[in-house]
Amino acid sequence: MRRLLHIEQVKLLNYNPFRITLGIYFIAFTLGLLIYPAVDKEIPVISLSDLFRFPDVWMFLTWVTEPYNVLLALIIIMITTKEFNNHTFKTQLIFGLSRTELLLQKLLLIAVLAVFATLLLGLTSLTLGLIYSYKITFKIALENTWVLSRYLISSFAYMSMGLLIALLIKNTALSLLTFLAMRVFVDPVLFLVLRKYEVKWYLPFRTTTQLTPMPDLIEIFQKKVNSSETIDEAALDLLPKGLPAWLNLGLVLLYTGLALYFSYRLLQRRRFT
Amino acid sequence: MKEILSIRGLSKSYKNIKAIQNLNLEISEGQAYGILGPNGSGKTTTLSIVTGIIHQDQGSFSWFGKAPDANQRKEIGSLIETPHFYPYLNLTKNLQIICDIKGISYKDIYRVLESARLAERRKSRFSTLSLGMKQRLGIAAALLGNPSVLVLDEPTNGLDPEGIAEVREIVIQQVELGKTLILASHILSEVEKICNHVAILKKGELLANGPVKELLAEDEIIEISCDRNEELKVKLEGSELVKEIETENGLLVLTLNENITPAEINAFAFSNEMVIYHMLSRKRSLESQFLELVKEE
Repeated sequence: MRRLLHIEQVKLLNYNPFRITLGIYFIAFTLGLLIYPAVDKEIPVISLSDLFRFPDVWMFLTWVTEPYNVLLALIIIMITTKEFNNHTFKTQLIFGLSRTELLLQKLLLIAVLAVFATLLLGLTSLTLGLIYSYKITFKIALENTWVLSRYLISSFAYMSMGLLIALLIKNTALSLLTFLAMRVFVDPVLFLVLRKYEVKWYLPFRTTTQLTPMPDLIEIFQKKVNSSETIDEAALDLLPKGLPAWLNLGLVLLYTGLALYFSYRLLQRRRFT
Repeated sequence: MKEILSIRGLSKSYKNIKAIQNLNLEISEGQAYGILGPNGSGKTTTLSIVTGIIHQDQGSFSWFGKAPDANQRKEIGSLIETPHFYPYLNLTKNLQIICDIKGISYKDIYRVLESARLAERRKSRFSTLSLGMKQRLGIAAALLGNPSVLVLDEPTNGLDPEGIAEVREIVIQQVELGKTLILASHILSEVEKICNHVAILKKGELLANGPVKELLAEDEIIEISCDRNEELKVKLEGSELVKEIETENGLLVLTLNENITPAEINAFAFSNEMVIYHMLSRKRSLESQFLELVKEE
């Protein structure tokens, strides 16, 4: 395991496109969060900084930063297709890696990146929470941190789907395009087409985005204005409810499992000439 | 002798093209085994199958008498077609990856780079190397960890004459150290210089295999002419001296039996009261012999 991870480390830490994309991810992630409080002043009555208070900050940032996982998936696609372009899967095979180890190598990398992303989210949420919260108690601060574990699964799921697409298509540009089209176009359009049917909630990317859903903003702002009047949410129907959380989580795990299973099958059968 | 590689009934097709058909080979320890054949004869396909990068359709093979698995490949130094490394990594880092895969220490890197005369370029990126240097790095990588078996597919491909000589020298050294060598090549003289066993492939089928000396024996051919050619031809045909006689442009072309020298032919003619006034040695080149073997059917 350590051997495989070390091989990936040598390959990637010297690979400029990897370093640059990861750098972009890091900057986009932190800068994006710094910009939110800046635009705050332009919106009257409600203040966005309310969202950065414990314990709501965990839910809010997890929702806001979920699209950044797309970048992580793009990184996985980029480096996996590069192994095909450079024929380095072949080199690693003839010198003694097994086909299963080729997959394991990428899985370890996915796990490391998912943990990295989750830690980054955890640290920024903690920092913003400490800055914007009026009163901080241990209990309030740590409430809702469980949502980080969902973020971890969400990252892992995104990258696993990226891996499958990369192994299937092999070409860098086509793989990137396919993944983005699925995430940005195919899935949302299908969601609209199927809007009358329950099955719309079962789409792979939809379940993954639903893993870290939009927090109940109305409730958060209500707390702030101390209104005793409760808004009839059902009437507003602002928040799509979707599947029960456990079923949604189960579906994400199922899709991720399938993506990894098909990746395994593909790697076992591929010709590496 | 210990069995190194055993190939039994191996077949592989790419769509309509039969790359190899029912191939059987046995390679034992210490042999320098050449796989000779023109382009498209299935050499690379065979070596790609035994090094695990493609799957066969039928048949099986075994390394060291055991069913194939990835760990065996760590004991084998392979170069299949052109060497492929990470273009943006320098030579040392590229070889470190292979050391990590094989689970050996990095100490061996300098030695193999030195033997491929690339030690000075060890900090250069792979992408900056010339074709010949890349090929030599491929050989260096195959030598990492001092494996007992080398599998080389056209190792002198794309090299200049100096490079060819260097690579051959490295490979011959390894053979002299007692390593088992499996060498695919379309260059007859290469196989003849390096190998002691040879298998000849054509369109994926095994045409012949055996010791190089037997299979690629050089027949001595001479052309002669005397005042009474027809008479001499009859006399020679009745003797034990020649294998074959042909008439070509008024000359007799003789293929000599083993250990027969042109002097004996001259003496034979003279004893039959014929004087040979033209005699030219015309060693049949291996190349034409190989082409003949491959051309059959």
